[in-house]
Amino acid sequence: MKRVAITGFGVLSPIGETSRNFWHALKEARSGIDRISRFDCSGFAVQLAGEVRHQPALPPDVARVADQDPKVGFAYSACAQALAAAGIQHLDSQTALHLGTSLEIFDLAELTCDPQRGLFGMADPSAVRLDRPLQIPLDTAARLISAHFGRPGAMLTNCSACAASAQAIGHGFRAVRSGRFQVAVCGGFDSMINPLGVGGFQLLGALTTDNERGPSACRPFDASRSGTVLGEGAAVVVIEPLEKARAEGKQVLAEICGYGSSLDAHGLTAPDPEGNGAARAMLAALEDAGIGADAVGHINAHGTGTRLNDQVEAMAIRRVFDGFWQHIPVSATKSVAGHLIGAAGALEVGACLLPLIEGIIPLNPWLRNVGSGCELAHVTGAAVMLDRGYVLSNSFGFGGQNATLILRRPDEQ
Amino acid sequence: MEGSEVVVTGIGMLTPLGATAGETHGAWRSGRQARFAPLPELAHTPLGTAQIALMPDFDPGERLGSRRMLKYMSESAVLGCVAAHEAAADASIQKRFRPERIGLYAGTGLAAARIEEAAPMLRESVDENGRFSCRLLGERGLAATNPLMSFKILANMPPCLVSIIEGVKGPNMIFTPWEGQTGHALLEAWRAVSEGEVDCALAGGADAPAHPFTLLYLSQAGLLGEDEKPANGAAYVVMERAESARRDQQRVYARTAHMEVSASGDRPHDPLAARMGRCFAAAPAIALCLACQVEGMATSVCGADGQEFRAELEITG
Repeated sequence: MKRVAITGFGVLSPIGETSRNFWHALKEARSGIDRISRFDCSGFAVQLAGEVRHQPALPPDVARVADQDPKVGFAYSACAQALAAAGIQHLDSQTALHLGTSLEIFDLAELTCDPQRGLFGMADPSAVRLDRPLQIPLDTAARLISAHFGRPGAMLTNCSACAASAQAIGHGFRAVRSGRFQVAVCGGFDSMINPLGVGGFQLLGALTTDNERGPSACRPFDASRSGTVLGEGAAVVVIEPLEKARAEGKQVLAEICGYGSSLDAHGLTAPDPEGNGAARAMLAALEDAGIGADAVGHINAHGTGTRLNDQVEAMAIRRVFDGFWQHIPVSATKSVAGHLIGAAGALEVGACLLPLIEGIIPLNPWLRNVGSGCELAHVTGAAVMLDRGYVLSNSFGFGGQNATLILRRPDEQ
Repeated sequence: MEGSEVVVTGIGMLTPLGATAGETHGAWRSGRQARFAPLPELAHTPLGTAQIALMPDFDPGERLGSRRMLKYMSESAVLGCVAAHEAAADASIQKRFRPERIGLYAGTGLAAARIEEAAPMLRESVDENGRFSCRLLGERGLAATNPLMSFKILANMPPCLVSIIEGVKGPNMIFTPWEGQTGHALLEAWRAVSEGEVDCALAGGADAPAHPFTLLYLSQAGLLGEDEKPANGAAYVVMERAESARRDQQRVYARTAHMEVSASGDRPHDPLAARMGRCFAAAPAIALCLACQVEGMATSVCGADGQEFRAELEITG
């Protein structure tokens, strides 16, 4: 089996619109969370989100769709960045394109805006603007990327909620490792920062209404945590065989060496309270990487800032890393970027590149008093340095889908 | 691909041709066609004559042996859970495999909220001029909304419900929204079994495009063909290694010699769609289920995204 390298990374996030800016913001623990500007949230209990502040220029056909569904523009930009970083101009039959995301956009204004058309505008569907579809299918981003960069050999759109983009990267990793594809372009894109997205998550009680906390409202593992904050953006990695990348003189950002996934099969509204599903994903990834728990030098936690999820994840980490967890620094990217849902896993893989490239493990900036049951070796006060070669990233999805990825320094044996 | 031989030992279907795999198979063999009719909700609109395939009557609570999870389910989730339950029972997977060694790979279609569930929210969110107001949605619309609606529009929920009901805890992937994506799900299941990542895989797809929102979108997207009327449907198969089927003396429907998803371009005439309507994300799984029982039945299904699923089978059952 081939060793697998990440040769390109592209990102558009609330804390940075290039990989350099993103890593810099992580080092500075600069939060991208602020009052929602994308729509009038004055009537909502939830008024905070991590928004992308600047969308780079897009080709006209992509811009047209992004006007209605911003996440499609994020996907295009992150993909373009990643391909440029990897020195790839075109996708071809030897390339797999696999992107994760979560929920289609429904245009509520279009459905209800004209009283003459009746509720939902269904009285005269022909009056609906044909250039503005009622919904944007989730594969639209992959199709537009394919239209601009070439048709890949496989084009997949993963909708496994918060585990979607971690699964996409895991799938790409396996496809390249086995030799089925020479290149995998994979990651995720999402934006739930729209009335239906924020409203839906508010109804489920998953989001904090602690609006006065502003940038520090998402507080993974803290005793005062009161829910997550939605973020938006996209993160894409280019994956190639390590040997090929080195032969072509490409920069190798990291190696991917393990992937595991599992299902809780417990319930829709809450994770398995024992953390069994989360633990199985981590154990499967360790086994896939062929390493023991003592080799891991950093965990990028799923860390949503919700009461139950953080507690269950901490419990699962302590069980999997029994005897070692006290020495494995844990950080949580959502504390500054918010929860990018379908793009969260890929963004956090991008965050894992920082310790692998520069040695710096970012801190969890708002963690003051560790919540009961959330005891781990959290990075607080200041960033710490990575002292072992492997890092692990968790992504646990709504509905009970879990995915874990393990990366390492390219020089690690 | 080098790996172990993979066989299909369980099938489940719920289609316009029948409420079970047996009924669908029987109707297909007898040459029956689905019944088609317009959607009543669109009666007074330009889409008033657009037809959809009618589904047979079935009681999901009875089929699943419980009504507990039904309140969380979209139409697509109901179909998928019933088909998956039939396939899982057919192959007795719960008795034969550890939950952690069973994988779940599925395709789901376009999301759509039921009009009667979305209506209270939207009604409360419209101002005196009939315009949608975000402020009013926050102030009044959300309070009028059933919180469970979120579970019905998240694309991964139908397969997650399958995992909960069937107790499946292994590796998993969910794709959306067209035929080719379900093809990828079936392909991943086949690989996972063949390469030993799982001992058995529950794989398939469910879709419910015969819905006013979706019909309108399909019309906008040019996907409402005269010969391809939207149809709800679901199908799941159980794949496992030939070795475990032999060991447990399990009925084998078919051996899978090869599976692939390729970029094909044009969509050829689709006999499946012509007979039962176009089931979109469910279609490759339905084709696979039928091909496991009907000699010479094509497994090739080309999707709206131009990707084509194809399986080579040897029927043994």
